[in-house]
Amino acid sequence: MRLTSLKSRVFGNGGMIFAAVAPVLTLLVAFPLLFVVLQAIFPDIARGIFANPFSRFVETLFDKHLISWTLNTLMLGGSVVLVSALVAVPLGILRGLFRIPFAGLWDVVFLVPFTIPPYIAALGWIMALQPRGYLEQITGLNFGGFLFSFWGVVFVMTLNVFPVVYFAVSRMVASIGGRYLEAARVSGCPPMRSFWRITLPLTTPAIAASLLLVFAMAIEEFGTPAALAARSGFLVLVTGIEQRLSDYPIDLPGASLLSVILVLIAMAAFVLQNRIVSRRDFQTVSGKPGASRPAELGAWRIPVVMFFAVIGFLGAVMPILSVILTASTRTISGGLAADNFSTDNFTEIFANSGGAMEALGTSLSLGLGAALITGILGTMTAYVVVRQRTVSSRILDFLTLMPNTIPGVVVAVGLILAWNQPWLPITPYNTIGILVLAYCCLLLPYPVRYANAALRQVSVSLEDAARVAGAGGIKVFFRILMPLIFPSILAAMLLVFAVAARELVATILLAPIGTRTVALFIWRQFEQGSVGMGMAMSVMAIAITMTIPVAVAIWARKQGRLF
Amino acid sequence: MKSFKTALLAGFACLALSGTAMAQSVTVYTAGPGSLIEKLAAGFKDESGIDVNVFQATTGKVMARLEAESSNPVADIVISASWKTATSFAKKDMLLDYTSANAKNVPDFLKGPGYVAQGISALAIAWNPKSGTPKPEDWTDLTKPEYRDLITMPDPAQSGSAYELVAALTAQPDLGWKLFEGLAENKMIVPGANAQALNPVLQGAKAVVFGAVDYIGLAQAAKGESIEVVFPKSGTVIAPRPMMILKTSAHQDDAKKFIDYVLSDAGQALVAKTQLMPARSDVKADRPLIADLKILEVDPKTDRKAVLDRFTKTFGLE
Repeated sequence: MRLTSLKSRVFGNGGMIFAAVAPVLTLLVAFPLLFVVLQAIFPDIARGIFANPFSRFVETLFDKHLISWTLNTLMLGGSVVLVSALVAVPLGILRGLFRIPFAGLWDVVFLVPFTIPPYIAALGWIMALQPRGYLEQITGLNFGGFLFSFWGVVFVMTLNVFPVVYFAVSRMVASIGGRYLEAARVSGCPPMRSFWRITLPLTTPAIAASLLLVFAMAIEEFGTPAALAARSGFLVLVTGIEQRLSDYPIDLPGASLLSVILVLIAMAAFVLQNRIVSRRDFQTVSGKPGASRPAELGAWRIPVVMFFAVIGFLGAVMPILSVILTASTRTISGGLAADNFSTDNFTEIFANSGGAMEALGTSLSLGLGAALITGILGTMTAYVVVRQRTVSSRILDFLTLMPNTIPGVVVAVGLILAWNQPWLPITPYNTIGILVLAYCCLLLPYPVRYANAALRQVSVSLEDAARVAGAGGIKVFFRILMPLIFPSILAAMLLVFAVAARELVATILLAPIGTRTVALFIWRQFEQGSVGMGMAMSVMAIAITMTIPVAVAIWARKQGRLF
Repeated sequence: MKSFKTALLAGFACLALSGTAMAQSVTVYTAGPGSLIEKLAAGFKDESGIDVNVFQATTGKVMARLEAESSNPVADIVISASWKTATSFAKKDMLLDYTSANAKNVPDFLKGPGYVAQGISALAIAWNPKSGTPKPEDWTDLTKPEYRDLITMPDPAQSGSAYELVAALTAQPDLGWKLFEGLAENKMIVPGANAQALNPVLQGAKAVVFGAVDYIGLAQAAKGESIEVVFPKSGTVIAPRPMMILKTSAHQDDAKKFIDYVLSDAGQALVAKTQLMPARSDVKADRPLIADLKILEVDPKTDRKAVLDRFTKTFGLE
């Protein structure tokens, strides 16, 4: 009791942080999203008119496709969550518990899927697997039937998103350490049983949090289901949103309303996640010596490495290989014939190095900026949410998830509606600042979820002990909490960096006039029919983007810990 | 935290200042191709000294940004790939009534009060000669068994010109929906917007695009891709690309000069170079022009939703 009151005096039980975080989040997330909701209700809000509220509801909500689109969305989200869990939870647990050969390499490789824009990955898979694609040109086999089906979409999307789960789980398992397993072994518990009874339950917060992110990403992603399954008539809610914004006449109110439905679906998933993680206490880091060494794999070395290699090959190598092949052939119709190979596309990029380099520079700085801001803001938000279990902190928690459940293009419309209001004294709109806002808004969920899961493990008693020893609130935060949760936050920041450096959907709408980013550069090449040149730029962008995670991995290795 | 906030505020402040500094410039919102507007902007700057700020995206995204900005408009000029945007903007009284002196040789059906075509594209059949299929001459050829499982089409729900093609062809008394039922029978796929329809044909997974945007196909062929653009004998639809000055523009004189430039000999030559048909009938281009094509009209009274519904039903896309 005495300790608690001491704590609340120093740190206000997170109250001070709450006071700092809440207004920033309101401006960053709630303000634009409010306009999405207003747009759904008032069709003419863009002109500042509040006339005819709800007048578009009937038309949109009684669309006969709505039910099948919603069911398809749920089915897709559920399947991607399931398959991601099956693939990434074992990978993450293995990585966290055992000494895996080439561990640092796998971390870097599993980050690659995040640096590939989803539409490029989908196109890469199409060009590799469709009839007369690269695989058929090399081996005579094609998997077009599988790729252009529901499970094809699940396959490609899982490979795009599974790293979210892998990084969350591996960092969490590593920080729990083998201490509890050791205790179980000493008391005679067989390994499999201790896995099911100890490791898996203790990892629940990380699994639940990262699967929630996967679900949110799967229900808002447009490119992959559109490219792969729309042709077989499998349409989702995002397809409907995109149709409303793809050609004249566009329908902003309808698109916003469908986005609100997506938010509601995500809210259900969020509530479910919260149920799971607040049922018990996951505090395992309580100050007892925990520096346990990862266990040896023994005879399982080879199969485990094979498992990592296969997933790495499918997730990172295959799509990139296809992208590289397209970039290094003169024409697509010429295929893999020897006389069709050329470095023309790369030469042209270097010839236009001004534009391309400028785009790379802009994207990398945007990525770094977004990673830093979301990292700080996300950690503080998560602290408030975990330590201060009140209704307002719950709302804050969900608020930070919302942007991830809405298609980027709709978030972009909300940002324009909000930040182009004539009554604003100053505005970041039409400056690079609007892209920083957009990326922070869209990507804040990663650090929040990751930090949230990590903080749930850290016992309050650690903080209390530090305070008794005379440390102030800020010192406790940076000297006690940060070192414990830093691996998780760093991993989340790398994910943010990778995504922000290649974000397209919101960027198309929001990019201030004259600004070039990597994704815009690539998209314009595609749009002009220069698929090869777009792919060449992708290859360079992925290579350059990856230097940061590689540097971090090398640094972490020197420090002797996970990044 | 504090330093983050001050940094953010400082950032906003200097960005807000930089926004007011531009003097002689016009802002153009345009649909692709990006290379065309880049060349036009550079040519215009050389001639007049006026800067052109370009926002380029698809027609849908251009319209979304315009609409979201409507309480505080930014654009001076809009160039879209859909003629309907111009007629409906004119009806809503959003356009500055300006007729360029250079529009004299633009045929009457390609201009109106406040808008004029920049260039024109047409829909066609894009066929891969290496596909081992006979060269198609007309839309109905594609219902033949040789093309079974080898046809793609841009989605009329996502591409305005593809919708017009469906509306125009199904209104033909001798074709009606029979043509599209035949194509459905032949397992034509509708994989997305224009680019998604062309890609499988380039790689050879499919052989023909039904309703490809002509200038994209022609540009691909010029780059050495194995693709041939066929204009069907029975006719096709065209998509003139309207340019318009918004009434809200704060730079109307400069905007007028830009329209004049695009319709000048130099501007129209740049249009022709991207394989679009020039708007002026007296400018030559290295491709079939409007006079060479049989053009199908779309009845403005056509019920768009009904056509799209019937289309999705025919192809089992529900």
